[in-house]
Amino acid sequence: MGTPTTSDVGYIPPAVSEVMPDDSVLEAEARIFARYLVGRTPAPEVALRYRDASRALWPAAPAPGDARRLAFVRRHPWSVGPLDAAAALLDPTGQLRSKVLVTAAILETTTAHADDFLPRTLPLPALFLRLAVSGAAAVAAAVLGALLWPLAGRSRP
Amino acid sequence: MNDVIVVGSGPGGTSAAARLVESGRRVLMLDFGNRDDRYKGLVPERPFLELRQSDPQQHRYFLGEHFEGIPFGGVRVGAQLTPPRAYALADAAERLPIEAPGFAASASLARGGLGVAWGAGVFPFSDDELRSMGVDLATMQPHYDAVAARIGVSGAQDDLLRFYPPSPSMMPALDADTTGDVVLAGYERRSKALNAEGFFLGRPRIAVTSQPFRGRAAYPYHDLDFWADPGRSIYRPQWTLDELEREPGFSYRPRLLVERFVEHAGGVRVEATHADSGAREVHEARALVLAAGTFGTARLVLRSLERYETPVPLVSNPYTYVPTLNLRMLGREARDRRSSQGQLTALLVREQPQRRLVQAQVFSYRSLLTFKLMKELPLAAGHSRRILQVLMSCFTILGIHHEDRPTPAKTCTLRRGAAGGPDVLHIDYRPSAAEERTQHDDERALLGHFRRLGCLPLKRIRPGHGSSIHYAGTFPISADARPLTCDRDGRLRETRAVYLADGSVFPWLPPKGLTFNIMANADRVGAIVAEHLRWRRWQ
Repeated sequence: MGTPTTSDVGYIPPAVSEVMPDDSVLEAEARIFARYLVGRTPAPEVALRYRDASRALWPAAPAPGDARRLAFVRRHPWSVGPLDAAAALLDPTGQLRSKVLVTAAILETTTAHADDFLPRTLPLPALFLRLAVSGAAAVAAAVLGALLWPLAGRSRP
Repeated sequence: MNDVIVVGSGPGGTSAAARLVESGRRVLMLDFGNRDDRYKGLVPERPFLELRQSDPQQHRYFLGEHFEGIPFGGVRVGAQLTPPRAYALADAAERLPIEAPGFAASASLARGGLGVAWGAGVFPFSDDELRSMGVDLATMQPHYDAVAARIGVSGAQDDLLRFYPPSPSMMPALDADTTGDVVLAGYERRSKALNAEGFFLGRPRIAVTSQPFRGRAAYPYHDLDFWADPGRSIYRPQWTLDELEREPGFSYRPRLLVERFVEHAGGVRVEATHADSGAREVHEARALVLAAGTFGTARLVLRSLERYETPVPLVSNPYTYVPTLNLRMLGREARDRRSSQGQLTALLVREQPQRRLVQAQVFSYRSLLTFKLMKELPLAAGHSRRILQVLMSCFTILGIHHEDRPTPAKTCTLRRGAAGGPDVLHIDYRPSAAEERTQHDDERALLGHFRRLGCLPLKRIRPGHGSSIHYAGTFPISADARPLTCDRDGRLRETRAVYLADGSVFPWLPPKGLTFNIMANADRVGAIVAEHLRWRRWQ
């Protein structure tokens, strides 16, 4: 068995865009993930670093399911939270979850966003309120994400 | 001719060499000696918080130039090996292959060995523990003291004194962080009851300078210990090597991979290969001290004595991480001034089925960054970030060590490499169900005491066998004159002048950090070799 060629029956070479998304696609992903994580447009260097990280960490084409979910998120940025919540439970090592975490790592080590990750002390009532709200929101996101997950996995890449 | 060749520049090699040079011996150290050329000097000597808020280059060292500092999957062995520390393991897997199914075998070819990334814990073995190893505290104490005076140790006079006797040169303990203060205050309120149940807590004994010491600065509380060595305040073996290189009786030969030794009437011949040119080199000395790390030394001894396919014992402290939620930190602001070192040391004395200790180090979590915790939570990352941001100060991480004793199911065997390739060390490490049950029960008892101190365990994480990175016992000190053991002096049986000065000689491992004990025993071996040379004991 060697590398398949175009003469092999049924083999269709992947399009270049399926092997590695181009820069604009990666930068769009970075902006979507960053806005989801910290609630605002990221500093310009975040997208550039995300692009470099994607090229270093995922040199090969994503699995079909990953590619479809990433494309779904790019078309519907609102879905990233629910799908990430579902991925945390259903596919924690998949590419969607990994890419969100890489964006978090890049944001955390960018001076403009460092404060979004540094520990913060809240008075106890405010602390419990934040935990309750975040916990409830996380559960709701996971429920919505679990419903969206199969749909996004079957959408067009 | 040199008096002594020392192989390896880790904690054992540098300690043995230092003692030999102090005794007036001519020492040649052979070492692979990898250095960190990529990240050295990249981490500014400023506090963690200041760097996070102002250094535009921080992603280069926090994440790595190739993003190698972003972990995927579950918690792995060496999770604390950040990009600037990763050179500790560079080249070892290719040059010194180890086949170890289900066991994490870390070896180092760095200048300083695995000591470039050690946790700096200073936990001398007790008299009982040492006697069961064929030595005793009266013999070892001068070497514990000598090493403490060489490397700089800080600590407190507290409830742990009965387990770790003080050393005359000990500096005051580092200041604890807020978590350490809070947990210790809870312990002090009920220490009598806890002590009666065998639980003791105190400030850790660590090889960190709380005062200026031998050209090193007092610890600056930058909380960057996983990333850099500001002021060289945390001891690393390369600090001693730097000092040795200024001594006329010492020479250092890096970029060498030592292949084997051969004894002859006049001494020992050591054969090595140059790492870059592949050229063969031969060096001669009257005696040889092997301190290439437990796996490196096993490879050298078994190859030199032609003992392929001969299993030797192996022990390694079982290790468990337990993140806990410290309820007494809820709503409390944590001080920025802190270290990344263990803040407290806990010891639990267990009596059944036999007397043993369990030791835990208590850490706070901050400088290893939040995204690594986000990965561990089964929540959407956006929600994880908001939750962790307000709970981060409440996370108290326990690192629990268990003792390990040899069994026929824990072995290390050298096999010939295929078609001219390097020989392969094969590790078979299968603890019994009874051992694992005991460890589980000990952890449950220990965590029960931490619960009473307000620390609620969230999860037990066992990264796998070998994860303590404490390896020992391959050529143990033994009163029986069996082959592939050492005599009380650390001399390898079947040899005349070959001594071992790393983890290889410890027959079993108490649940304490091993490194300081390696250093003290290496100092002892260095003194013995110097004495033997003086009286020409071998002729």
